[in-house]
Amino acid sequence: MKNWQRISQDSVLKNKLLTREKVFDGLRNFFKTQGFHEVETPLLVKHPGTEPYLEVFKTELVTPEKTQNAFLLTSPEYAMKKLIAGGMGDLFQICKSFRNHEGLSERHNPEFTILEWYRVNADYTKIMNDFEQLLLSLVEKIQNRTDGKITYQGKEYDISAPYTRISVAEAFEKYVGVTTDELLSVAALKKVAGSRGYQVDEETTWEGVYNQLFLNEIEPQLIDQNKPVIIYDYPASQAALSKKKDSDPRFAERFEIYLGGLELGNAFTELTDAVEQKARFEEELALRKQLGKTEYGLDQDYIDALASGLPPTGGIAVGVDRLVMLLADAQDINETIFFPAEEIFSS
Amino acid sequence: MKVKAGNIRKGMYILHNGQPHLVTKTQFVSPGKGSAFTRARIQNIRYGTTVEFVYKSHDSVEELEVESKELQFLYSMGEDVVFMDPRSYEQVTVAVSLLDGKEGYLVPELSVYILFYEEKAIGIKLPPKIKMLVAEAEDAVAGDRQNAGKKPVTMETGLIVQAPLFVKKGDYLHVDTETGEYVSRAN
Repeated sequence: MKNWQRISQDSVLKNKLLTREKVFDGLRNFFKTQGFHEVETPLLVKHPGTEPYLEVFKTELVTPEKTQNAFLLTSPEYAMKKLIAGGMGDLFQICKSFRNHEGLSERHNPEFTILEWYRVNADYTKIMNDFEQLLLSLVEKIQNRTDGKITYQGKEYDISAPYTRISVAEAFEKYVGVTTDELLSVAALKKVAGSRGYQVDEETTWEGVYNQLFLNEIEPQLIDQNKPVIIYDYPASQAALSKKKDSDPRFAERFEIYLGGLELGNAFTELTDAVEQKARFEEELALRKQLGKTEYGLDQDYIDALASGLPPTGGIAVGVDRLVMLLADAQDINETIFFPAEEIFSS
Repeated sequence: MKVKAGNIRKGMYILHNGQPHLVTKTQFVSPGKGSAFTRARIQNIRYGTTVEFVYKSHDSVEELEVESKELQFLYSMGEDVVFMDPRSYEQVTVAVSLLDGKEGYLVPELSVYILFYEEKAIGIKLPPKIKMLVAEAEDAVAGDRQNAGKKPVTMETGLIVQAPLFVKKGDYLHVDTETGEYVSRAN
């Protein structure tokens, strides 16, 4: 049976689905009372994100003059940062984003809802605080709960600020037993992975072993915590849109938030240097080509926006569907979407 | 047969750390916009233990051509347990260790599924519950609060089950093969 057919007879599902509406209200209320503008930027774009491993939905824009490639965006961040460079100040947006080739599962729908917010004259530490306050306010508004806790899938989490914070380098040291120098060396990290029984060969990349070690050895430890965990300061190669750390430029100011096994958000201190950004885009587009991903050009307009002067800005992308899962206590993303892609495309 | 981890699907049998496993769930993962990984939940066929492992999508994984045959229990003899194919009457002998301590559920003519890999038995799947005869049961001792209304009874195979006080010798019981618990009376 499909979700729309189950609504009339399954009040538990109906309430989970209606949590989405409450989350939207809560998000808008949180940002508007702090003077953020809500913006709407295009979903159909010419230059989607350059992230090498993401795959896009490709279509065509046909006009009497010509036919050109068009794409569904993977995140609205370029457009939003152009608006900030244009002087719009603090912004947020709730919109759809699209990623292909990720399968349909209890965590993935190819069309998903993303929340992004950007704070001017701020860095990623301010965004960490924002997230902590935002989640507390949502839990209070939606669940009428004010004890600084949330229950998800039978486990209670303490969501009072500050969250547990651990850097990527500390996590690798603590849970995998590798030093920062080993972490950043292709040869050393592959050797560690090989000795732990992971498959490594000449084709294996640093990114492959880094993420496989992270997923198998570190993420389960983060899931076990009874507080949300902020994991921060990623190796610079894993953070193409973030500012490198002044104190150690091998790492960049990026963080992710984990709670109850859900990866909730990904944030940066935004890179504002146009020359460096262009170089990183070119590297990523070259890697896309090498990986056989859909090819497109880089967004020169975005480089121009950075060159015109992007103020110091912190920003984050949050998976709204996962926030809804958390607040609806849903184990499966398909219980939070009226028409899951699994229903539409699996029959 | 080697397959890419990105192509592992639920229901497949694979070799993981040298042990045959059944894939019970798979999920795509791309950590923080990273490359593609496959998170697989896999169950060790021999021991029943379930683990999660995240493969790089291009990791090479050995898929096992596992055949599942429904066979009937005939008899046990020392370290061997003998089953029969009810269609061909062909007899199959497997090591008792493959039952991993579950030999107490082998009632006469019990149908089980045995998994074969390269013609070698690698796992046995018992039905979730089994009907068994109570061979011995003492009368209930009134006022025994320790066992909260249960008493140990001995089944036809020698298996001991905690059963309600009303159960008598000669009763048939349904017993859960996973937990070893009494499910219901089956007279």
